[in-house]
Amino acid sequence: MKDLKIVIDFTIKDMIKRKSFIISTLIILILIVIGFNVPNIINAIKGEEGTNEKLLIVDESNIFEGTLENIKTLNLGYDIEISNEKFTFDDIKNKIENEEIETAILIEPKEEKIEIKYIVENINMMQEVPEQIVNAINSVYSNLQISKLGLTQEQLQNITPNFDFKLEQTEEQQASGNILAIMLLSIVLFYAIYFCAYQVSSSITTEKTSKIMETLVTSTSPRTIVLGKTIGIGIVGLLQMILLVATALICAKLFLDEEILNSVLDMSNITPYLGIITVIYFILGYFAYALLYALTGSTVSKPEDIQSANGPVAILAVIGFYLSYFTMMNPTSELNVFASMFPISSPFCMPFRIIMGLASTTDVIISIAILLVTIFVIAKVAIKIYSNAILNYGSKISFKDMVRIYKDKNN
Amino acid sequence: MELGKTTTIRMLLGILKKDSGEISWNGKIVKRKNVNFGYLPEERGVYPKVKVIEQLIYFAQLKGMNKQDATKAISEWAKVLKIEEYLEMTAEKLSKGNQQKVQFLTAILHDPELIVLDEPFSGLDPVNTEIIKNIIIDLVSKGKYIIMSAHQMATIEEFCSEILILNRGKTVLKGNLKDIKNSYPANRVHIEANQDIKKYIDKFNLSIENVVDNNYTINISNEEQAHKLLEELVKSSIIIDKFEIKKPTLNDIFIEKVGETK
Repeated sequence: MKDLKIVIDFTIKDMIKRKSFIISTLIILILIVIGFNVPNIINAIKGEEGTNEKLLIVDESNIFEGTLENIKTLNLGYDIEISNEKFTFDDIKNKIENEEIETAILIEPKEEKIEIKYIVENINMMQEVPEQIVNAINSVYSNLQISKLGLTQEQLQNITPNFDFKLEQTEEQQASGNILAIMLLSIVLFYAIYFCAYQVSSSITTEKTSKIMETLVTSTSPRTIVLGKTIGIGIVGLLQMILLVATALICAKLFLDEEILNSVLDMSNITPYLGIITVIYFILGYFAYALLYALTGSTVSKPEDIQSANGPVAILAVIGFYLSYFTMMNPTSELNVFASMFPISSPFCMPFRIIMGLASTTDVIISIAILLVTIFVIAKVAIKIYSNAILNYGSKISFKDMVRIYKDKNN
Repeated sequence: MELGKTTTIRMLLGILKKDSGEISWNGKIVKRKNVNFGYLPEERGVYPKVKVIEQLIYFAQLKGMNKQDATKAISEWAKVLKIEEYLEMTAEKLSKGNQQKVQFLTAILHDPELIVLDEPFSGLDPVNTEIIKNIIIDLVSKGKYIIMSAHQMATIEEFCSEILILNRGKTVLKGNLKDIKNSYPANRVHIEANQDIKKYIDKFNLSIENVVDNNYTINISNEEQAHKLLEELVKSSIIIDKFEIKKPTLNDIFIEKVGETK
C-alpha cells in the first residue's frame, strides 16, 4: 500500500511537470475562453450598435403600395430601410462598397411577373435568398392582395392556416432533455478517457525504452507499478477534465448571452447528479481502457512499435464510442440499451441514458457491475502479461505469446 | 558474450523464473521482501525527463527509506560520486557516465546488505572507474556482500576473492581466486635484453608470444625452461635488464576454460 502511494505520487508529479502536459492544457484552456467569446468577438468586429445586417428594400414602382413597412415589425434580424426612389445596380454597388448597407432587395415589374433581386457583396457557396425574407415578402404581398378582396375578418382567419404540428411516439419511454448537450458530454468523455488511458501505455513503454524497468521491478511489485501508474495518470486526467469543464461552464456564464446559451444548451441539464455519474463513468471507463493500454504497452520495447501494438485498443474504443453515439439518435432502441451495458461502450453511453431519463437504477447498477467485472479481468491479465513481458527487449510480443504467457502455470 | 552472467543475476534476484532449484541468502529465499538488496542492472537506464534527485528519492522510498533520510544520504553520496551539480537537472542532460553513476547510487543508496552489480565499469572513463572502484572497496571493508559480474578479468582480480566462471549458463570454474591461480603453473617468462636473443630462444625450442624492442614474452611449460634460458643468456654475456617468470592471469584462465568448452 505504501509503495502504491509512492508510485502514484511519482506518476502524478511526473505527469504535471511535463512541458507537453502544461502546454496542451493551457492551449485547451485558451481555446475554451476564445471559443466562448466568438459571439462577442464577432460583435466587436461588426461595431457596437449595428449588430444587425443593414438591408435596403427598393420598391421603385410601389408595387407593394407602402405595405412593405410591415416587414420591419417582423423581427427578421435586419435593420431594414424601405425606399421608393430609383436605384440602379451600380448605385447599390456603391452603397455596399461604402458600407452604408450590406444587402439590398430590388423589386421591379418584369413583363407579367415581379422580379425581386437579392443583392449581396459576395455570393457564398450554396447561398440562397434567405427563407425568412422570401416568406416575409410573400406574406406581405398576399395580405395586400387579400385585403383588396374586401374579406371579412372571419373569412380572412379561415384562409390563414392555423395548424399545430406535434411529434409523438408509440414507445412508452421517452427521451427528454437537450440532446446536443448530452452528445457533447459523450464526446468529451470519449476523448478524456481515450487520451488519459493512452498515457498509461506510453508511460510503460517509456520505462522500457529508457531501460529503467529492471531497477523498477526489483524495487517494487509489477502489480504496484501497473496500478500506481494507472491511478496516478487517472487522477491527473480527472483533475484536468474537471478544470476544463469548470472553465467552460464559467466562460459560458460570463461571456455568453443567456438567450444564446439557452438556445444551444439547456443549463438545467447540468446538475450535480450528472456530474457524479459522469465522474463515475469516467473513472470506470478510464480504468478499463488504461489497463488494456497497460497490457499492450508492456508488450513493446521500441517507441516505433507503440502505434501498432495499441491499434486493437484504439479500434475497440472507436467501436465503443460510435456504438453509443449512433444509437443515441434513437435512444429507446434495443441497440442503445445494449450499448449502455456493453463494457466498451457503456462509459460513453450510460450517462446519456441517465440524463435522458431512460435508465432505471437497476440498469445503472447492472451496467456498473459489468464494467467492474471487466476491469477486474483486464487488470488480472494485464498485470500478469506485464510481469512477464517487461524484460522482453526484443521485438513486439504477439497475441499467441500473450496467451502462452498467460497460460504458463509456473508464472 | 553469451555466457549467462545477466541471466544468472536476474534469476538470483527473482526477476526471471528458474527452471528448478532455489536461491537463498542467509537462509532466506532471495526475494524483494526477504532480502534488502541493491541492484545495478546491465541495462543502463534512468527516467530521462525526471530530475536526478527526484528519481533517486523515488527509488529510495520504494526501498523503504523516508524522504528526509533519502535526501540526506543522496547529498552525502553525491559528493563522493561528484554528481552534486547534476542533482537538480533532468537525467537526459547528463553524460552517459554520470547517468551510470546515478544508477549506481540507486543500487547502494538504501544501504543494502547484498549488492549486485552487473558490469559496473562498462562504459566508464578511467576517472569515474576509479571513483566507483573506491566506493566498492569501501563497501567491502564495511562488510557488505557484493556480487559482481564483469568480463574484464583485471577488474575481477582487483576486487574479488571468490569467483565463478560461466559459459552458456554452465559453471566452468569456481572457487577462491588465489587458490585457483596458485594451482596453475607458470606459463610465461618476460625478458628485457639489450640485443636480439631470438637464436637462444630457438635453441630451447620455445615460442615467442610477443616481442617489442628486444622485450620478449616467451611461452614456457615449466619454470625449469626459463631458468635454463637465463643461464644460457648469462653465459653468452648478454646484459639482461629484466627477467620475470609469470603465472597465468585470470584472463588466460578464462580464455583457456571458456575456449575449452566451446
